[in-house]
Amino acid sequence: MTVLRFDNVSKQYPGGHAALADVSFSVAAGEMLFITGHSGAGKSTLLKLIQLAERPSRGAVLFSERNLLKVRGGRIAHHRRNVGVVYQNHQLLMDRSVAENVALPLVLRGMRRGEIGKRVRSILDRLGLAPRERALPSQLSAGEQQRVGIARAVIAEPAMLVADEPTGNLDPTLSAEIMALFASLPERGTSVLVASHDLGLVKRMRKRVLVLDHGQLVDDISPEDLADE
Amino acid sequence: MNDRATHSSRFGAWLDHHGYSIVASLGRLLRKPWATLLTIGVMAVALALPLGLWVVLGNMARLGGEVRESREIAVFLKQDVGAAPARALADALRARGDVAHVELVTPAQALEQLRARPDLAEAIDALGADAAQAALPSVLRVTPRGDELLLADSLKTLPEAERVQHDAVWRKRLDAWLRFGGRAVLVLAALLGLGALLVVGNTVRLDIQSRREEIGVLQLLGASDGFVRRPFLYLGAWYGLAAGALALAVLTAAWLALRQPLADLSAEYGSSFALRGLDPLPAACVLVGAGLLGWLGAGLVTGHYLRQTRPTET
Repeated sequence: MTVLRFDNVSKQYPGGHAALADVSFSVAAGEMLFITGHSGAGKSTLLKLIQLAERPSRGAVLFSERNLLKVRGGRIAHHRRNVGVVYQNHQLLMDRSVAENVALPLVLRGMRRGEIGKRVRSILDRLGLAPRERALPSQLSAGEQQRVGIARAVIAEPAMLVADEPTGNLDPTLSAEIMALFASLPERGTSVLVASHDLGLVKRMRKRVLVLDHGQLVDDISPEDLADE
Repeated sequence: MNDRATHSSRFGAWLDHHGYSIVASLGRLLRKPWATLLTIGVMAVALALPLGLWVVLGNMARLGGEVRESREIAVFLKQDVGAAPARALADALRARGDVAHVELVTPAQALEQLRARPDLAEAIDALGADAAQAALPSVLRVTPRGDELLLADSLKTLPEAERVQHDAVWRKRLDAWLRFGGRAVLVLAALLGLGALLVVGNTVRLDIQSRREEIGVLQLLGASDGFVRRPFLYLGAWYGLAAGALALAVLTAAWLALRQPLADLSAEYGSSFALRGLDPLPAACVLVGAGLLGWLGAGLVTGHYLRQTRPTET
């Protein structure tokens, strides 16, 4: 089953800059893949189209068979609840505790406090953050902050997780830990799309890789081809 | 059963978020006491000015009413109406339902009253008392009960009446001034209310700007417009409520400061007129209105911001 499909998608910003040109690919449910390319290749734009932070200039983005061009008004928020997002700079709310940050997607879904508490404790336990439950993000290390960001992205078990340079500021050990965590998510049915320009890390993971260059999808490398390389 | 549980759960979460928004928005106000005080102060002045004028107009209308009630209609009788027919006419008028009181001023009494005025005493002496008294008519001072205009018209038809003096023009002018004042208060209230709306709007806009990143994160996590808007709406409502309360406090202080001196002044003129402040019901309406004004200002600005953050299409 396909969870995400790009059909000849182009994105042109005002001023004429073409961020994506005629990009087509699809992602199966429970699949993990990487998207790589130089800075300015179009990775961030592609992720924004998935989150409906932007709309394509041409072509169609289908999420769970629904054309995102037709998603408007209040339905945009509903769509975004199905996409977990992990940012390079974490994007945590600095005036809220770890538990409150992680609970946000459940609060947005209208879940009651009791159930939210249970789920938050469970995910914080899984990610080794339970002792830091009441800490503010400013009291955490970079690695801990990133784990909080991941906990927040996956707590509501979204259909897809997108991560934009999630290991950009982390040391290799921590990067490997976080990638291992991402790799475990497809077992739970969540597709994972990671944008990274760290080719070494991408190769080590032995997953499908999409290569963007100046907004064009120039390569779609399967795990087998990657192993051969 | 499951649907009902889900709806109940969502409603509970919705209530939870309202509670959170109320407390959190109040917390944001208290964390910036100086800026909050300035904003509330500006809004309070904008609300207090038309409110104060409204209260003054209300008191003027009351005072005008009292003066009107105390006004008499003077009926100057013809020179040939003697003392006995004048007394008989006064008795007849006292029996009427539209007359509260009648006082007969004879030419002799009128002469005494004129003589009491230092500027006229010499002139009367020079003219001679008898000649002066002969020139004065008997006068009936009639205090109306009910519609004084109808009574004045009726008194003009009396065969004994030479002239009826009733200053209807004065009353019309007062009413016109009060109507104009009322309209001016409405215009001023609209203008200053708009000013208060803009003050809240601008304050909330600045708050939104300082929380752009947080709002952006919430939106990408799937926050609905209502979820994002709610804390700002309560923030606006708090500003409005606090400004309304401060405006009422300023008016009450002004009322307390002016009440006694005005009562003393009225007493000097033999009046028991007392300055009245805002009654509880209008005061409550002011509070609710100010809160709604703040809510509306915040709603307009937040709505505009949310429209700007929609996904762009090119």
